[in-house]
Amino acid sequence: MDSLQIGSYAFSSRLILGTGKFSNATVMVEAVRASGAQLVTVALRRFNREQAEDDLFGPLSAIEGITLMPNTSGASTAAEAVRAAHIARELSGSPFIKVEIHPNPQHLMPDPIETYEASRILAKEGFLVMPYIAADPVLAKRLEEVGCASVMPLGSAIGSGQGLATSEMLNIIIRESGIPVIVDAGLRSPSEAAHAMEMGCEAVLVNSAVAVAGNPPAMAEAFAEAVAAGRKAFRAGLMQKSGFAVATSPLTSFLGTR
Amino acid sequence: MDERNSEKMSQMITIDLNGQQQPLPPGSTVIDLLSIIGSNGKSVAVVINDHIIRPENRPLHLLQEGDRVELLIFAGGG
Repeated sequence: MDSLQIGSYAFSSRLILGTGKFSNATVMVEAVRASGAQLVTVALRRFNREQAEDDLFGPLSAIEGITLMPNTSGASTAAEAVRAAHIARELSGSPFIKVEIHPNPQHLMPDPIETYEASRILAKEGFLVMPYIAADPVLAKRLEEVGCASVMPLGSAIGSGQGLATSEMLNIIIRESGIPVIVDAGLRSPSEAAHAMEMGCEAVLVNSAVAVAGNPPAMAEAFAEAVAAGRKAFRAGLMQKSGFAVATSPLTSFLGTR
Repeated sequence: MDERNSEKMSQMITIDLNGQQQPLPPGSTVIDLLSIIGSNGKSVAVVINDHIIRPENRPLHLLQEGDRVELLIFAGGG
């Protein structure tokens, strides 16, 4: 069976879903179910008794067959991310951690130095580290060398819907990587997810595109189908591109010709 | 505030709960704190003075004057 392997975990779904920005927990749960996602991201936040509905532990616990992948969003240094990872593991019981360190809220670009350091420490401690990074082939390789379980380069800025703006660099990362490459951030449409899979990504992580869609569960399903189709196409082997026309029909022995 | 209440208040301890002052009766445990704020504790991580307090230790862990307590949950995130 063609499954996504991360550490000792195997997932039949190659769509990872984020849980941010949904209008409410009910819609989020419906979207997770419709997506078939088996890895689901969450963020760590302070408890606030006036906003008890923010607590997603209960709603997510009701979904069978999912594994939580907490992120370290909010951390702006490696030390903060490591601390967040330890706390998140207490709650999730999951070894997965998405290392996400973006100090500048204007562009949300990940800090490569702090991300590398946090990933190195957490991988050593036995976490399945999934770092969110710029599409940088050199950094991706360095993260593989320190024991990350995957790398998650951005397609474009978080929540921007600009799609696979980094495809040239993504192609290099995919070609060079010995660990799963998962495109995270920037995807807007299912066709972009299919394209990422056709390029050879092992999975895609989608949040905003589903959460703010007119009908989030329907969009989640559309992404799931696109990811499956893209993966199937990648495995089937895409034809080579040609700079010239190559006929599909015979050009000789037509009516009235010799 | 009448005299009895004032006496009671003076016996209270104060902790820092997620950045806010929270008075508590002396001898309160982590479980007591969770019940005061209306949490069953299942979905909450408890960190006191930078140490994670695991669920099995919460009934015995006594809160002290000036403790820095952080309660964290899972919220939506990508």
